[in-house]
Amino acid sequence: MDFAWSDQQRELLDAVGRFASQQLHYDVIENDRDGVFNHEAWKKCGDFGIQGLLVPTDYGGLGTDPLTTVAALERLGYACKDNGLLFSINAHMWTAIIPLVYNGSEAQKKKYLPGLSNGTLIGGNAMSEPNSGSDAFSLTTTAIKKGSRYILNGSKIFVTNGPVADLLVVFATVDKTRGPDGISAFLVEKNSPGMNVGRKLEKMGLRTSPMAEVFFENCDVPEENLLGKEGGGAFLFTRSMTWERGCILASAVGSMQRLLETCIRYANERKQGGQSIGKYQLVASKIVDMKLRVESSRHMLYHYAWLSGHRKAVYLEAAMTKLHISDCWVKCCEDAIQIHGGYGYMTEYEVERELRDAIASKLYSGTSEIQRNIIASMLGL
Amino acid sequence: MKILVPFKSVADPNNAIVAGAAVSTPKSVINPFDEIAIEEALRIRERGQATESVGVTIGPPAVDEQIRAALAMGVDHAIRIDDSRALDPYAVARILGAVVKREAPYVVIMGKQAVDDDSNQVGQMLAGLLGWPQATFVSKIEFLDNKTRARCTRETDAGLEVVEVNLPAIITADLRLNEPRYVSLPGLIKARRKPIEVLTCDQLGVTVRPLTTVLSIARPPKRAAGTRVESVEELITKLKQEAKVL
Repeated sequence: MDFAWSDQQRELLDAVGRFASQQLHYDVIENDRDGVFNHEAWKKCGDFGIQGLLVPTDYGGLGTDPLTTVAALERLGYACKDNGLLFSINAHMWTAIIPLVYNGSEAQKKKYLPGLSNGTLIGGNAMSEPNSGSDAFSLTTTAIKKGSRYILNGSKIFVTNGPVADLLVVFATVDKTRGPDGISAFLVEKNSPGMNVGRKLEKMGLRTSPMAEVFFENCDVPEENLLGKEGGGAFLFTRSMTWERGCILASAVGSMQRLLETCIRYANERKQGGQSIGKYQLVASKIVDMKLRVESSRHMLYHYAWLSGHRKAVYLEAAMTKLHISDCWVKCCEDAIQIHGGYGYMTEYEVERELRDAIASKLYSGTSEIQRNIIASMLGL
Repeated sequence: MKILVPFKSVADPNNAIVAGAAVSTPKSVINPFDEIAIEEALRIRERGQATESVGVTIGPPAVDEQIRAALAMGVDHAIRIDDSRALDPYAVARILGAVVKREAPYVVIMGKQAVDDDSNQVGQMLAGLLGWPQATFVSKIEFLDNKTRARCTRETDAGLEVVEVNLPAIITADLRLNEPRYVSLPGLIKARRKPIEVLTCDQLGVTVRPLTTVLSIARPPKRAAGTRVESVEELITKLKQEAKVL
């Protein structure tokens, strides 16, 4: 086993760390309060190469391997406090870019991937519906073929990037009687006739990542925008979700590392009863737990990414990685607040926001319960 | 129409900011004023006022990391003069003089000084050795008359001074000339394919030996903690008797 980075990986990761600490280390309190998406930071990330990390070089990306990619995202999470921006970037990478890379036609890849890589286009997907969340394949949005067009009808909820997206991967069924085998994916551009983006949804956390409902009323999509095959949507979605589960919490590992360092600093500086609070074993023990969570999360993340890069099956590992890191992140945030005492509850100290942001990780890309179902089924239960 | 940008590798001046539990290893970076010079050269080339930007630095193979950073910013071609001695400004200026003769640029842009030794001499000495005009502490550069002259705005204690120099000339960059771009990942990957030319003083036909020697380097003494005073009277007494500034 070799745990060392190559010189090229180190050079790339150093550059990411420098970029993130110089360009993305901005104040987030106001944007969080007002629910503001940072377009400028999005574009900077695109110019720098973040969104295009995994995109093959022929389509304007960098073609980096999964391990280097997650390590780069981890460094972003360490330096950038805007978890919402990073969530938007993740949604864009795993639910718009990945399906295009795997299932896009040559024309579709040429048309969309360069823009999705360099930050000029924002992508996302529309899967969940008001009555189909965890039971995703029971969706009811329909796509009826008429000549060389598909006509989409239905409504989608929790569409990350919905209010700002230029391109959505929309899932709809071409034939409800076929069940999952009827589900198909479509590339739907902003302002397509019959597509309406609803009001921005207010959320507990990740408030800087815009989310909306999207409605399709006789939405007209040309047949060349079918992504993959008719009926291939369920498989495409599962692949997308496997990537997302494995990678989406890479930035959370960086965020946990930052929280850990913040807590160590605070525990050394804050004096109560004549000594640093870090000298109290009950506080020190919490920090030790945080350290263990960061390390175990990082190991699971890197192992998943290494397997993925070596084209091994990662369905089980992705679910375990997602479940473990989301648990660790939420617990780290709770501990960080506890260590900070009353100050930790104050917005100004920026720890409470981390908790609000972290809690969503137990819900998106499949709830923790769904991850457990996957793991149980893979264990033969 | 070539621009030559000499740059120096220095200890990262921002390193002290890295806080927290992570152990940080000393890192080197391109001298920030030289980075501004590189950025200006790139902008001039992007405006079509130059065809090539050439970076040059002096040092052992370890400085290749900063060379790659310059290439990743967009410098077309880089030269490293392989010399690991501690050189003083005059020695550096003489080596660069030989590089200028070899490369024949129409302008040399470099940082006004390096942030490690703050000598602020190489640009001026280089101009002197070559017999070229110089514009130092420059915050704005415009090329005139089909690039035969440059109008440079200099930042001086008295205000902004505008000078015109005939080209070729040496221009040294001040802080407000521009804000350097950051190295992008596509730039970094492109830079891996750009070769670094390695030359020695022998190949350049210069023999240099430092005329000055650094005897020792010491940290400034730590500032003692302040004290609170109860009244203006006490403050004045302390300023008179202890600080002896009144």
